[in-house]
Amino acid sequence: MTEKLNEQQSIPVTKVQRAAKFISTGAKVGGNYMKHYAKKVVNPSMNKDELHRNNATDIYDSLSELKGSALKVAQMMAMDKNMLPRAYQDKFTMAQYSAPPLSYPLVVKTFNQYFKQGPESLFDTFTTSAVNAASIGQVHKATKGDKVFAVKIQYPGVASSVRSDLKLVKPFALRLLNMNERELDNYMDEVEGKLLEETDYQLEVIRSKEISEACGHIEGLNFPKYYEEMSSARVITMDWMEGKHLKEWLETNPTQEARDRVGQTLWDFYDHQVHSLKQVHADPHPGNFIIQGENELAVIDFGCVKVIPEDFYSGYFSLIKKDLLIQEEELDQIFYDLEFISDRDSPTEKSYFKNTFKEMISLLGKPFHVETFDFADDDYFQMIFALGDKISNDKMFRKSKQARGSRHGLYINRTYFGLYNLLNQLQANIKTTKPDWLRSR
Amino acid sequence: MTEKTKNQQTDDSKIIEGYINHVLETGHEPASVFKFAKDLKMKEATFYEYFTSFDAVKKAVWELIFDNTVHSLESQEVYKTYTSREKLLGFLFTWIEELKERRSYLLAVYGDVPLKDRSFPSELKGFKLKFKDFANSIVNEGKETEEIAERPYLTDKYHEAMWLQVMFVFRFWLKDDSPGFEKTDAAIEKSVNLAFDLMGKSAVDSFVDFAKFLFQSK
Repeated sequence: MTEKLNEQQSIPVTKVQRAAKFISTGAKVGGNYMKHYAKKVVNPSMNKDELHRNNATDIYDSLSELKGSALKVAQMMAMDKNMLPRAYQDKFTMAQYSAPPLSYPLVVKTFNQYFKQGPESLFDTFTTSAVNAASIGQVHKATKGDKVFAVKIQYPGVASSVRSDLKLVKPFALRLLNMNERELDNYMDEVEGKLLEETDYQLEVIRSKEISEACGHIEGLNFPKYYEEMSSARVITMDWMEGKHLKEWLETNPTQEARDRVGQTLWDFYDHQVHSLKQVHADPHPGNFIIQGENELAVIDFGCVKVIPEDFYSGYFSLIKKDLLIQEEELDQIFYDLEFISDRDSPTEKSYFKNTFKEMISLLGKPFHVETFDFADDDYFQMIFALGDKISNDKMFRKSKQARGSRHGLYINRTYFGLYNLLNQLQANIKTTKPDWLRSR
Repeated sequence: MTEKTKNQQTDDSKIIEGYINHVLETGHEPASVFKFAKDLKMKEATFYEYFTSFDAVKKAVWELIFDNTVHSLESQEVYKTYTSREKLLGFLFTWIEELKERRSYLLAVYGDVPLKDRSFPSELKGFKLKFKDFANSIVNEGKETEEIAERPYLTDKYHEAMWLQVMFVFRFWLKDDSPGFEKTDAAIEKSVNLAFDLMGKSAVDSFVDFAKFLFQSK
């Protein structure tokens, strides 16, 4: 029995370890790679599937009890759909849509605290139960005159519990991802900072306004209007966006043309943010988008915005260019800057990792190398798995003990990975617009 | 309202406010009723008309807070539509708001008192009595709507449990250092949910029922 157990544990341990390392390398496709791994692990035995499912239930239960940041981490894991075994994934996907609700008296109290009046005097109607759960709060529907609002209310004490919640998630993360602790800490800091920002609803309103103004010109893209006078540190009031969530919309069997159109809008939105604004809505999970009337896309949650530092930006994207014409030294510098290689590596290690990352990135950058790219192409995703597999069986990676990849990469990868994933779900054919300097000659 | 009751009310609240101010400014209660009355420019006899001792004043503070809570609770339109669970939640949230107004005073008086089950300061008695009525009305309503399961002996003691919960919340709030007492809000939400989940119909009831059946049909 013990032996059997050990065996079960030992297979994922080494494999996930490598897989996890791969994610930490700052590769866009860490998640995808995991999918491959997850497929392999989950399929061979039913037993394990059950084990995962049980674990997932336990973890989900305790996480959803916690709400707040722990739930957020659950969501993040769920978003990287391919990162976790399927059983975990399904459980965590639930976290994206539902969590036990906040009682109405507490909602009233929160309103009294910030606006000195209850919701029923601020609005004409106000739903006493939540219509939707947001990650760190819940959404109520309200009306005033002929306007319909979505009012997002944050759970109390979320901000102050971020740190302790993360500590609580850490053992799960260590076990699930099998990263070593030092490695994980590096990224946990980044995650903690982002989560703290997410609890700041005033900041969210400011950013929502900024980004929706800056992206207002993009065709087919809608943003709700935000109402500052009815928002506070823990309450956000915005327009109610009528429409369907992505999943629901896909169930209505939209035409290829419609899917292309929505996908294109999504691509244009991210293209503009990353390359022009240098700050990006880093939470492209399906729950944050609503498809409206004439195949228009509405973006509803700006909690997680990643500002992209200039030097990270230029390094990261110059690697994606099709014909790498840069000098060897320059390339080295980029790899150093992005923390793919470090001084602690031996010369052979350096050249090995450099080549591997180059190969990987050129594959990941493929959508950028052409004028139009078909994200329905599962072959492309298969190629990525194959490369991931090659790397996972490689001794050099297995031996390397360091975290590879800059912490900024964490959210940028998450963003692109989420975007590719959404586009794949949409089966969309995309005109991959990009800034001129990224164009292949 | 007659002239007399109006005066009564002002004297009444004048003494309470005077007492609270004294505690806030000096950190202890007045040396004697005589001195206290003199400071308030009031006859000592007037004091005794309303209160027999300083403890009675402290007792009145608690009752005042309770009355204010219930008053502001009942003035909310939505309160009538609340379920029992929501009523208790609403009470505690509003009560904490009322306590907030007098936090410094409460900290000065109760900051160091352990408030253990047996050593509740006697001045809480009046408040406890009033709360008991309130709690019983919630329990009865809960029984009608079947939110609370009827259990022989136990159901009659629920108000005691709720009282302990009130004291738990009070202690928690005294020590709470989170911004805006957010943690107290969370503590109220979670503890009330637990309490009502326990009071509602659950597996235990079915188990007891089944065990009884087995025992009787032997």
